[in-house]
Amino acid sequence: MNQTVDALSQRAGQRRFPLIALVLLVPMAIINLVAFVLPVLRLGQISFMESRSGGVLTGNYSTESYIGFLTDRFSLDLIGNSLFLSLSVTFITLCCAYPIALFLHRVSPRWRNVLFVVTVSPLLVSSVVRTYGWMVILGEQGFVNGLLMSSGLISSPLRLVNNWMGVTIGLVEVLIPYMALSLIAGFGRLDVNLEEAAASLGANAWTRFRRVVFPLTLPGVALGCLLCFVLSISSFITPKLLGGGRVFLLATEIYDQAVIQLEWPKAAATSVIVLVIFGLALAFYSRVVRRFE
Amino acid sequence: MQMVERRGASANGDARPGDSEPAFLKLEGITKQYGTYTAVDNLHLDLPRGKLLGLLGPSGCGKTTTLRMIAGLLSVSGGQIKVGGDDIAQKPPHKRDIGLVFQNYALFPHMTVAENVAFGLEMRGVAKSEIATRVEEALEMVRLPGYGTRKPKEMSGGQQQRVSLARALVIRPRILLLDEPLSNLDAKLRDEMRVEIREIQQRLSITTVFVTHDQVEALTMCDCVGVMSGGKLAQLGSPEDIYERPANLFVADFVGRANALEGKIEDVDTVRFGDGVYKCDTHGARNGKATIVIRPHRVHVTPNRDRTLVSVMTNSVHGRVLRVTYIGDVVQYDIDTGTHVLKAEVHTASGGHAFAAGEKVLCEWKPQDMLVFAGGGQ
Ligand SMILES: Nc1ncnc2c1ncn2[C@@H]1O[C@H](COP(=O)(O)OP(=O)(O)OP(=O)(O)O)[C@@H](O)[C@H]1O
Ligand SMILES: [Mg+2]
Repeated sequence: MNQTVDALSQRAGQRRFPLIALVLLVPMAIINLVAFVLPVLRLGQISFMESRSGGVLTGNYSTESYIGFLTDRFSLDLIGNSLFLSLSVTFITLCCAYPIALFLHRVSPRWRNVLFVVTVSPLLVSSVVRTYGWMVILGEQGFVNGLLMSSGLISSPLRLVNNWMGVTIGLVEVLIPYMALSLIAGFGRLDVNLEEAAASLGANAWTRFRRVVFPLTLPGVALGCLLCFVLSISSFITPKLLGGGRVFLLATEIYDQAVIQLEWPKAAATSVIVLVIFGLALAFYSRVVRRFE
Repeated sequence: MQMVERRGASANGDARPGDSEPAFLKLEGITKQYGTYTAVDNLHLDLPRGKLLGLLGPSGCGKTTTLRMIAGLLSVSGGQIKVGGDDIAQKPPHKRDIGLVFQNYALFPHMTVAENVAFGLEMRGVAKSEIATRVEEALEMVRLPGYGTRKPKEMSGGQQQRVSLARALVIRPRILLLDEPLSNLDAKLRDEMRVEIREIQQRLSITTVFVTHDQVEALTMCDCVGVMSGGKLAQLGSPEDIYERPANLFVADFVGRANALEGKIEDVDTVRFGDGVYKCDTHGARNGKATIVIRPHRVHVTPNRDRTLVSVMTNSVHGRVLRVTYIGDVVQYDIDTGTHVLKAEVHTASGGHAFAAGEKVLCEWKPQDMLVFAGGGQ
């Protein structure tokens, strides 16, 4: 009797499922189409257009923006700078967030929720505000320099802001919660029994970490690195504010091209190049992840 | 249930198996405290080399805690753990040289079966070429030759358990610990693995502690059985000791099925319960309350007849069948004797006499099948 009821409701559920799923997917699909897919296509289109001075699009198509960008020494430096910054920021963020995530994974459930909220709480404050905060902390008369000077460790203030150092510090802080979240999400296979098994087989703490813990957390590491790489290469506000106009990256260049020089095709072409870098990062990620499967 | 000591048999069992053999694994008063709660309480235990000890007990009695303390995964709050004479209680787990098999197998999911088995050998710096041969040997021993290249998740539960056994044994540990290794397997596989583990254990003659809450497992596989209760060892003895000569009411009741009846001791060879007087051995007690335990399958159920008719059994009581439970290999009868309900188990036979509910019967049993625990239970 019960079985029949179950079977019936199951069959009814199966029949209804595609329809409900479609209906539920429609709003998201429309938003994505209008707000993401179409603009990106339009961006691609503009990147192949020509423009006169003053930013007016002529309506002629050419690959001039791309050729111009890829043959320009400064632009190639931009790609190099952006890649280097993003990779180093990603690596430093990983090193900072990994112990936090491991601790959160192991702490008793009672504390885990509280500490979890503490970890992601910086996300409640806009990154603009946090970046201004860093300017205050890292500035010449800022907290860090004040402390170091008054303790007599240094005689003149360190240059911690308006350079690569400032951008790196700011980005790492902004990205730690994202990294920690991704890491924890990818720690599912980590089981304390496995470490105990390794210990009973004669592995000391470092070997247990190297041979068991770290390999099992690689899916989380890969996810976190992808996310932080993409976020940092496309970050704009933090480099703009903490770079003080001395740090040149792809994102800041796109802004200058579009808003200051009014060279829309160039800006669009640069954006497409960033998109290609995203695509490559994603492809690399899925290749890495497939190896864990 | 309150523990009732039986006279003449101490809790630690004077009929300790292999009394003459020196202990290889020696637990000397190990204790584990969680705050004010004592999970394992001053546990003493000796296990001779090459023997298989089954740790049996109800859930939460401290079996896993004891095992983890031996393995070094839990610190001891007190006491010593001696292996071959040296105290290892303060050593970290990776220096103890103890093989461990977990209930959930705990195979490294990112390594192949061969890499899993090789792990302990690598940790010991064994040469590459030797590792390969020893891994293959170990896999052959657990009847999984040629499975080395598989990943653990590509294997069944029973196969994973064997890999886990191979991984623990390949390092030739001084002691092997198994924590309910068979409880995730189905009944048939469990029977198979039981035999296999026992065979391997005897072939390698490795000192082993096997935690289980399954008494069949403990009684059939082990050289000796430790029954635990509330963090203490209620009895340590051979399977036969545990079953036939339980040291106290807890063991009698926990191991095997039992009729526990409240009664009175009349003399050194007589007890009374209900309206009857029965012959038995009270181990010297002459009077006082007692709890009397009779195993259901030691109660013979015969068609109703005069009690005085000749029989090899000395004790008997009339009753009426209340309930009949057919289990397959045995039939269980609940028999109302007027003052007590007595459980009896009879093997089924194709032509055997089966009694129906309501039928009058005569229950008989031998004096030596009555276990008398002076003091009374409740
Ligand atoms: N970390 C802990 N903190 C407090 N009490 C604990 C802790 N771990 C175990 N205990 C308690 O210690 C007692 C013994 O636990 P243990 O795991 O040894 O039981 P067990 O005999 O293995 O039971 P089971 O058959 O259910 O596995 C239990 O009552 C348990 O509640
Ligand atoms: Mg347990």
